[in-house]
Amino acid sequence: MLAYIVRRLLLAVMTVWAISVLSFMIIHLPPGDYVTSYIASMSASGSAVSEGEAQALRQQLGLDQPITIQYLKWMGLMLQGNFGMAMEWGRPVSDVIGDRLTLTMVISVAAIIFTWGIALPIGIYSAVYPYSFLDYVFTFIGFIGLAIPGFLLALVVMYVGFAWFGANVGGLFSPDFAEAPWSLEKIWDLTKHLPIPAIVLGVAGTAQLIRIMRSNLLDELRKPYVMTARARGLSEYRVVMRYPVRVALNPFVSTIGYLLPYVVSGSIIVSLVLSLPTVGPLLLKALIAQDMFLAGTIILLLGVMTVIGTFISDLLLMWVDPRIRFGRE
Amino acid sequence: MKLMRAVIVLAGLGVLGTLAIQSGEAVAQAAAPPKIGSSLIGKLEGPTIVLDAKTFPKAFKEAPQLAAQVKAGKLPAVAKRLPEPSQLFVVKPLHEIGKYGGNWRRAFTGPADHENGNRINSIDKILTFDYTGTKIIPALARDWKVSPDGKTTTIYLRKGARWSDGTPFTANDFMFWYNEIYLNKNIVPTPFFEFQINGKDGVMKKIDDFTVAFEFPEPYSYFVAQLAGSTSIGAGLATRGGFQNFGGAYAPAHYLKQFLPKFSSEEAVTKKAKDLGFDSWVSLLKNRYSWALNNELPVMTPWKTVSPINTPTWSMERNPYFWAVDTAGNQLPYIDRITMTLAENTEVANLRAIAGEYDIQERHMGLAKLPVFLENAKKGNYTVRLDPALNGSDATIHIGNAFEADPEIAKFLKNKDFRHALSLGIDRDQLNEAFWLGVGTPGSVAPAPDTLYSPGAEWNKKYATLDVKQANELLDKVGLTKKDGDGFRLRTDGKGRLRIELVTIGGQFVPFTAIGEMIKQQWRKIGIDLDVKELERNLAFTRNGTSENQMLTWANDGSEMIYLFPRHALPVDAAEAHMGQAYARWYASRGTTGKKPDDPEMLRAFDLFRNAFGASEEERVNNGKELWKIIVEQMWSIGTVGQSPAVMGVRIVKNNMGNVPERQVNAQHARTPHSSMPISFYFK
Repeated sequence: MLAYIVRRLLLAVMTVWAISVLSFMIIHLPPGDYVTSYIASMSASGSAVSEGEAQALRQQLGLDQPITIQYLKWMGLMLQGNFGMAMEWGRPVSDVIGDRLTLTMVISVAAIIFTWGIALPIGIYSAVYPYSFLDYVFTFIGFIGLAIPGFLLALVVMYVGFAWFGANVGGLFSPDFAEAPWSLEKIWDLTKHLPIPAIVLGVAGTAQLIRIMRSNLLDELRKPYVMTARARGLSEYRVVMRYPVRVALNPFVSTIGYLLPYVVSGSIIVSLVLSLPTVGPLLLKALIAQDMFLAGTIILLLGVMTVIGTFISDLLLMWVDPRIRFGRE
Repeated sequence: MKLMRAVIVLAGLGVLGTLAIQSGEAVAQAAAPPKIGSSLIGKLEGPTIVLDAKTFPKAFKEAPQLAAQVKAGKLPAVAKRLPEPSQLFVVKPLHEIGKYGGNWRRAFTGPADHENGNRINSIDKILTFDYTGTKIIPALARDWKVSPDGKTTTIYLRKGARWSDGTPFTANDFMFWYNEIYLNKNIVPTPFFEFQINGKDGVMKKIDDFTVAFEFPEPYSYFVAQLAGSTSIGAGLATRGGFQNFGGAYAPAHYLKQFLPKFSSEEAVTKKAKDLGFDSWVSLLKNRYSWALNNELPVMTPWKTVSPINTPTWSMERNPYFWAVDTAGNQLPYIDRITMTLAENTEVANLRAIAGEYDIQERHMGLAKLPVFLENAKKGNYTVRLDPALNGSDATIHIGNAFEADPEIAKFLKNKDFRHALSLGIDRDQLNEAFWLGVGTPGSVAPAPDTLYSPGAEWNKKYATLDVKQANELLDKVGLTKKDGDGFRLRTDGKGRLRIELVTIGGQFVPFTAIGEMIKQQWRKIGIDLDVKELERNLAFTRNGTSENQMLTWANDGSEMIYLFPRHALPVDAAEAHMGQAYARWYASRGTTGKKPDDPEMLRAFDLFRNAFGASEEERVNNGKELWKIIVEQMWSIGTVGQSPAVMGVRIVKNNMGNVPERQVNAQHARTPHSSMPISFYFK
């Protein structure tokens, strides 16, 4: 089993390296570079960059060097724990991402709690009472949630909030608190703003999880051991929760691998629409501006999170499911 | 209905570029009756500055918060913070003497939006333009003089003026910038175009503590305008200092020395940079040099940064040492704070403006949303003002005059009659109604008739009115006589239909792609098959660099001041030249790289342009008019609709704001809204 873990670890390191090469290449795929984009964006906003300034910028940012040299430079920096400079921000990449990481994680975790908190009980209920009235109602609502794109829902929720409830449009804080240092009032302000993004982000995933939970549990409930348990006179609660639900949870555990990158990135489009200061819009803007170290680091971070997440879910599966654990030994 | 339409507009404009165009059209069509906005364009007005020192105020007052600090002994008295009484910058506010206080709420869209705050604080330019955008007036410098031979421009600083930390501001801050920043090749590797005349460098000299001279080897009388314009050398420390540029002609020596190797050692500054996570001392210097990123940087601006631009709120507070007063002796600015909240996209900014969450906001407000702005004006307690720009065309079809890939198409693009025919085939009134809600002015690329270099109103209409008959005659004349079954003209080399490609860029202030599609329909009548191709902005700009675009739509903003910002009128700036970048490279490198234009008129325009910089004012104005005549006649770019508020000209002003002009000049060189002097705005 130890050999298995070591092998997985080595593979993970190789994957991360491959991701770093790929992410660097992806950023260089579009034509032009950061300076082209800077000139264009200045021109679009009624300002200007002169040719001399453009050349100076290219030289300072090392954009005049071949791509391999740029990559090696970036790698060299990263091995020292430095992710380079975010060109558009004029600050180290780690600072720029760090600023937004906490809030991103708060929002994502809130969304996940919302999703799981809704999806698991409903999934269980739907499986235990399949084709009941409430099953249909939940299924219907779930599918609506699945069918509406998150950004559209965000727009509608935001407009309704503004038009009827006088809520601040977008963002995570009221203007009074945006600048204030952290305090109980500020946390309360954040808590008040959190439900909208959490619900909008969570709704789409809910239907999917309900369906997965429902079908897995249905499969399990039909198995003979459940019948045996019932025959032995166990309470209905124990019959359902003790084994079938645990088995049905397997797919959830294996999706943890995808949850980790989600937690650090948030959703790009929804965050953009709701004007949430998360990593998602940061990535989008960095890609548009061809801010290569910033975009590269975020993509790499997402890759690393996926790798770590997959690794953790492998371990968790071994722990949750005795069949995997014993099958290996 | 109201709500629904707002939702549709927002949903459409929000995320998907294509949707944006369609709903933009929907709004435009729903916006009848036409001329919806013409009643919103008021009288051009603004504050003036008092130049006669005899009439200057003698006693001074200050904001209550500063008075409290003086009382507590934390600040010197107001008279001690201001320059000597005869050296003040005295503003006569537009309407009345204002009141102190208030927090000006605005939107910004992230660290790339530094111009948002720069333009409010642009009074730290050496010289500037008045509220009409035509007359040069003092700003940071109290006066200037050009030597009779035009080779030397001398500026006089305000004695007793201080940096925001109280350190005296002197000629040494100019010399520090010149010797330690500008001449340091690690920081500024390429000299600024504006600091050269015909490729020869200028030098900066200190005459005394409050006098600085700029000397050039050849006459350069236009340098005064460079100091007043939005240029690398003249746009001030806030705008052009640091971050990406290191321009601005002065810098706080006492603060910045600690980041330069010369004043400690290469190792020491490198270590300092690495410790803070920067990859080199230049990167750290860039960061520390920027007023928007670094709230410790001493500035000469009316407001200084508190919470930097890379946080969700970019906020500023008054500079206690700001060097201006009103005519009653009140130290300016009136407004205590500016708080800009981050809008991750401009739609959120527009929705918040509709909700009345911004006090004055002209940046990021979309013309297509005008109906929604007007519907909610009462509820949001704001007034909508439109500020038409001075440039001729917001959606200009720049011809790729240096395009070569397809010799047949290149041949026609280089043919003046062909270009005229294309222009005559455009129905600009239809475009104006559909995309500018009727508030633009149809015409050529020539600037507004009341601008300095306008050759006259007739040139705004020249070859710029719909005349299908004449267009067809011209196209027949150039040899495009054969047509296919659908009525489209055929190529003369026998390779089928003549298809011309127009590159458009999405997500801009005006919907270039939808405009292109309408022109495509209009050109059917003259038998020209247009292929509208939307490209991502970087791709379009990169293709420009290699002269691969046959035609590209982009604005011609800034071109009204053709010598300050020629790039949208003539291919002379290699950084951006949509009408032939190879030619621009040739011009900028004085013939060493790039391609020499084969059009003798373009060479004549280049000569006229080059000669203007050393010429007398009168000569230069005549020269500029002649240039515009050539540009309109030769039509290297085709104008459509301009002089409109589409770009930064839709202004939302809360009804409790005072001294805000009905109309302000909307121009790059005026650095709108700086020309309206935000230091004199106040909360009633």
